[in-house]
Amino acid sequence: MTRRLLQGSEAVAEAAIASGCRFFSGYPMLPFTELLESMAKKLPAAGGVCISAESEIEAVNMALGAAATGARAATGSCGQGLALMQEAIAESALNELPLVVFNMARGQQDYFQATRGGGWGDYRTITLAPKDVPEAVAHTQLLFDLADRHRTPALLYGDYVIAHTSVGIEVAPLAFPPLPEKDWALDGTMSGTGRARQIWTWARGKPNTPGPGPNLAWQAIADKYAEIERTEARCEAEGTDDAEVVVVSFGTTAVFVDRVVEELRAEGVRIGSFRPVTLWPFPGAALAEATEGCRLVLVYELNAGQMVDDVRIHAADRSAVRSIGGVSQDASGMRQGDLLAADELRQRVRRALADGPAARSAR
Amino acid sequence: MLFTGVGGQGVQIAARTLATAAMDEGRHVMLVPRYGGGMRGGMTNAEVTVGDRPLRALPVATDCWSAYAMDPSYWSTVRPHLRPGAVVVVNASLVDVEVGVEGATVFSVEAGAIADGLGAPMAAGFVLLGAYASLTGLVGVETLVGAMRQLVPPYRTQHLEANERALRAGAAAVTPLAAPAWAAGDLERAGR
Repeated sequence: MTRRLLQGSEAVAEAAIASGCRFFSGYPMLPFTELLESMAKKLPAAGGVCISAESEIEAVNMALGAAATGARAATGSCGQGLALMQEAIAESALNELPLVVFNMARGQQDYFQATRGGGWGDYRTITLAPKDVPEAVAHTQLLFDLADRHRTPALLYGDYVIAHTSVGIEVAPLAFPPLPEKDWALDGTMSGTGRARQIWTWARGKPNTPGPGPNLAWQAIADKYAEIERTEARCEAEGTDDAEVVVVSFGTTAVFVDRVVEELRAEGVRIGSFRPVTLWPFPGAALAEATEGCRLVLVYELNAGQMVDDVRIHAADRSAVRSIGGVSQDASGMRQGDLLAADELRQRVRRALADGPAARSAR
Repeated sequence: MLFTGVGGQGVQIAARTLATAAMDEGRHVMLVPRYGGGMRGGMTNAEVTVGDRPLRALPVATDCWSAYAMDPSYWSTVRPHLRPGAVVVVNASLVDVEVGVEGATVFSVEAGAIADGLGAPMAAGFVLLGAYASLTGLVGVETLVGAMRQLVPPYRTQHLEANERALRAGAAAVTPLAAPAWAAGDLERAGR
């Protein structure tokens, strides 16, 4: 295979299909639209189905239904559409259905929406936040594996830059360990046959084969998420061994952090970078280790301060944590604004270094 | 390089054609389009980064070497990201604003008028792209034609011939390599 010039959305679509995704539904919304278009172009040829739904609510519930039959199914939108999908994402968690959701977010980095969600119940969503298109291709394949392995909704946190950037890339299928049989999948067997299966949030089962009921089922799901939290956290740390200052960021912003940290290290500043690759589970233990002995932990995110909460929870010294990001929208409201720039970030880091640890941020 | 224009002028396909051609010549490329929710008449910009090694460029270009301007409406969003002495190729048929970049070398090409003369007013963006490629030698005109042919979708093949004439007419309207993008040796290695 050779490199081809692929837009991020197109590359993610090919990665999803290479992962065995055979059902995709969505409602067009910039910058998610190109992923839906790519799936519509490519999925039928792979024997799959792509449906342009009438709303995000319809799209996510179609994908949920497809997942219940054991198909690898996915949907997506931007943050505004994900807001509408929250109920079905929570149902996917409580029904233990693997569902992959692509969030091609606009300019706002909504960490809370990705990691807390707005559904009910003790549920979580595994969330991978790639920093660029090649990583988005790898993460897409990993998400389908994690969703099946843990029978849970799993999110890709992409954005305008990842969805739209074209690079020369080869979409190579990744190998994963074998997965358990989907012996829970609905296969169309009707009631009255004695073999019909049921997927139900309350898990009460059928009259002749009672289920565990909500208390035991929901505790088991909570235990499963506790186990995922222990085993699936992923992160990337650079130069943190000797660092006095660590900059924490996720997704596209991390590419800018890496550049600025590299420049400042070359100037002799003892600075490092830390990037949660999984937003949930948050790599808290690794962050505690990476920030050990740091006088400053700077959080750069394009919002008014969301991930900074998790950084405060896990940093070795929470009083060292400072937010240096902010709301940053371009005029269209569709993509990141002026803060997504190495110059602006460098100035903010320098200002924080000059202020020193005694100065506290407003938050 | 930075591309700017308004939706409907073919700025996105022009940028993609250039990026595809550069890749076809063995370069490493990154293309970042920028547009909002509107399609016709709204801002449509793009950034193309080309290198002969794997790119380290950030996906927000600053300090850019050159610009391609089909329309002046959103020039103000491009101008601050050009370095002093930038090479600016403008569609003289529409662009009448001051470029406003210190020491810029400006090439004015009557892209709209040339496309009209070819009976293909919709191909003005390709006229300007042909001129850009010829002026800079960033990619060869033949590779550009090949890239355009790859990118035009099957339901638009009736435009292939006009697009090709537009690319060639743009290239013919300017002095080749008046603002070379590569050192002479690079061009020989690319087989041109």
